[in-house]
Amino acid sequence: MEIDISGAAEPGAVGDEVAQGDRPARTAGATLLEVEDLAVEFRSDDGALRAVDGLSYRVEAGRTLALVGESGCGKSVSSLAVMGLLPPTARVVRGTARYRGTDLLGLSPTKHRAHAGTHVAMVFQDALAALNPVHTVGYQLTEALRVRSGTSRREGRRRAIELLDLVKVPNAAQRVDEYPHQFSGGMRQRVMIASALALDPDVLIADEPTTALDVTVQAQVLRLLAEIQAERQMGLVLITHDLGVVAGVADEVTVMYAGRAVEHAPVHDLYARPAHPYTRALLRSVPRLDAVGDDRAVGGRLPVVPGRPPAPGRVPPGCPFHPRCDMARDVCATDVPPLDDVAPGRSSACFFAAELLGGVRA
Amino acid sequence: MPEPVTTDTATSAPDDVVLEVRDLAKSYPVRQGVVLKRTTGHVQAVDGVSLALRRGRTLGLVGESGSGKSTLARVLVGIEKPTRGQVLVDGEDVSTMSRGARRELRRNVQMVFQDPYTSLNPRMSVGDIVAEPFRIHRDAVPRGGRRRAVAELLELVGLDPDHVHRYPHQFSGGQRQRIGIARALAVKPRVLVCDEPVSALDVSVQGQVINLLEDLQDELGLSYLFIAHDLAVVQHIADEVAVMYLGRVVEEGDGPAVYGDAHHPYTRALLSAVPVPDPTARPAEGELLLEGDPPSPADPPSGCRFHTRCWLARRLAEEHGVAGDGPEAVPERCRTEDPVLVPLGRRGDGRDGGGDDEGAHVAACHFAREAATLGAHPGPTAQASPGPGTPPGPDPDPDADPDPDADPDPDADPDPDLEPVPDRPVLESRER
Ligand SMILES: Nc1ncnc2c1ncn2[C@@H]1O[C@H](COP(=O)(O)OP(=O)(O)OP(=O)(O)O)[C@@H](O)[C@H]1O
Ligand SMILES: Nc1ncnc2c1ncn2[C@@H]1O[C@H](COP(=O)(O)OP(=O)(O)OP(=O)(O)O)[C@@H](O)[C@H]1O
Ligand code: SF4
Ligand code: SF4
Ligand SMILES: [Mg+2]
Ligand SMILES: [Mg+2]
Repeated sequence: MEIDISGAAEPGAVGDEVAQGDRPARTAGATLLEVEDLAVEFRSDDGALRAVDGLSYRVEAGRTLALVGESGCGKSVSSLAVMGLLPPTARVVRGTARYRGTDLLGLSPTKHRAHAGTHVAMVFQDALAALNPVHTVGYQLTEALRVRSGTSRREGRRRAIELLDLVKVPNAAQRVDEYPHQFSGGMRQRVMIASALALDPDVLIADEPTTALDVTVQAQVLRLLAEIQAERQMGLVLITHDLGVVAGVADEVTVMYAGRAVEHAPVHDLYARPAHPYTRALLRSVPRLDAVGDDRAVGGRLPVVPGRPPAPGRVPPGCPFHPRCDMARDVCATDVPPLDDVAPGRSSACFFAAELLGGVRA
Repeated sequence: MPEPVTTDTATSAPDDVVLEVRDLAKSYPVRQGVVLKRTTGHVQAVDGVSLALRRGRTLGLVGESGSGKSTLARVLVGIEKPTRGQVLVDGEDVSTMSRGARRELRRNVQMVFQDPYTSLNPRMSVGDIVAEPFRIHRDAVPRGGRRRAVAELLELVGLDPDHVHRYPHQFSGGQRQRIGIARALAVKPRVLVCDEPVSALDVSVQGQVINLLEDLQDELGLSYLFIAHDLAVVQHIADEVAVMYLGRVVEEGDGPAVYGDAHHPYTRALLSAVPVPDPTARPAEGELLLEGDPPSPADPPSGCRFHTRCWLARRLAEEHGVAGDGPEAVPERCRTEDPVLVPLGRRGDGRDGGGDDEGAHVAACHFAREAATLGAHPGPTAQASPGPGTPPGPDPDPDADPDPDADPDPDADPDPDLEPVPDRPVLESRER
């Protein structure tokens, strides 16, 4: 996907309300970002395609929210909408994204980008390709600082070294002058994280930050993110399709399917007792290392979800999951189940969530 | 339609091996300079690998990016020539054969590629893609029977034979991977080399392809070399597992041995880094984090290639006083002496009657025994999580003890030897 981030770096765009320094403190648990009923459409030859359709989530200081779902379910597009970085063919058709009370989606596009760009940072999914091969790592790290806060080159270099140190790049003082191709995949991902942290954001949206990395490097990067987050009480949105990663780092989880949130729950509850058949099916189909004596570990067949997720514009009527759902009944083909509270801190968009949770058949 | 490979004769161990590599190496020249490209060195992508693949079995190959897995795969299917070593198909050395005989043998070894999005020509119909190998191996299926063969192949992999005229973009990722598998099966191979065949697929679809591969194996007696970076997937599908690091196999054995009783520090680190989809099993302090990046295969470290990142070498030097004096403070042996694969002897009781060396568990580390005992055990966590598998409906008695053999005292430490001796007052209060 093409991402235009040029607007994010427009110097004139920095309004006084986004000046550094007058930012309220981050108290653990305080709500920083609240997305409500977000819907995004793409223009296409077949008419408008709904890529995100009624997504809500809340990000709190010092906590990690995981946004999970399969390829194409709208994880990246929804984040780009929050950042004001949607491609020109896309538009937000509904919903709000409140950062500390201000609806970002209600601001002018330039103000939106400036405001979001200062307080909400994003590590992009294709981060490894996002680094410019002709500039040194240090130069790129502090581009935002120079543009936004008028930091001098020299001061910028000092900050860049600090940032590389922060993300544990060894020999930061020397490596700051190197070029991206001299860095390994894991190191480049650290650089991308460092550059997102340059303006000390309140909220960090990390889009698949470890997907391209080996497990051992992934473990290093995840640990690093968790440390930085705890230290700064940052709100973290971790976008991933890896349920193992989610289990290891998230506090809360929002599961997406076909552009919608279908379940939201604290991480322990979700894994112990999913309240949506899609979540349950996903969890079952993951082969796991620790499943000794379980069919999923050795031999046996993997439980699978039949069919495949729908493409935008092909979302079936009724419950979007109904053609693949092993609990579907007649009502599921006609009515859309709303995302309702089903237990304290938990919600599910399934008519029969209570059955899944309570084990009683209606 | 591939026919099941007959296994009517009692197979002795050597006959059982359908594909073997001996001391295989593949290096690529590193060129520098813009106008006059000079060769300034060599990348040793694969450096002395010996492996054997048995009939109807699956050998899993894991290792970090750049460890040489795909290079090995390409040499195995004949896309590239080895720099050194032998490839034997059915016991015959491929390099010493005539071209015709080689092509005939090559037919037996086909490849399934990682990316179902780029490995299929977007301008060819599905029927043409699946029939493509017939143009290379003309005698595989007589010309007149090809149309029917394609339809049967599509059916075999679970696709609608009526879709032969469709193009790849009209299929999902999982379906495209099925097309790739159908193409590989067209010339009735006996071995499929699968290079990350499910890595690009979503979890809900990945299982469909893995199950298909397992069904085909049962039906057709195929052997698989299954390359993947997902250790859980490999554990599920593989009978034997080989772990690669920087062009070498550092540990090999049957699945349970490698997963449950890993000896090489690299294998143990890999296993401990795999995220477990269970929040109650979050990584503990004992996680074996690897420091730093994999070194470049153009300039591999001296001695043991893993010594620049090895947690065990560091620990041995620091805590156990094994001479560690160099800049990296690792035992001298690790820096100077290249470890070879040695049997770990779980079954090494000296008897070699029966000729069955299956399950031989080998690792290349000077201190393999220490590795297996030191540090957090990365093996499967014993803890049973409730898991999502519980179906709705009348629950079993919630008070029922899920494990009758479980220790009756939940506070009891599983390993009393490791419990620090409590203070006196605590001991006294316990006695009451
Ligand atoms: N520029 C675009 N034009 C048209 N459709 C688009 C565009 N970008 C994304 N989409 C569609 O919007 C949907 C949501 O895409 P998005 O990138 O948010 O998915 P995702 O959940 O991030 O998936 P992945 O896990 O593959 O990154 C997809 O079906 C995609 O095809
Ligand atoms: N054609 C080539 N020319 C030069 N170097 C190569 C070539 N092909 C591979 N290499 C190098 O050989 C090494 C092994 O690469 P290979 O692709 O086999 O690794 P891999 O284990 O398959 O990694 P991945 O998990 O990323 O697919 C790498 O360092 C790679 O850069
Ligand atoms: S609403 Fe119906 S189809 Fe949808 S998830 Fe629930 S049971 Fe399945
Ligand atoms: S030989 Fe030394 S460096 Fe190599 S794996 Fe063993 S302990 Fe580590
Ligand atoms: Mg995405
Ligand atoms: Mg590869």
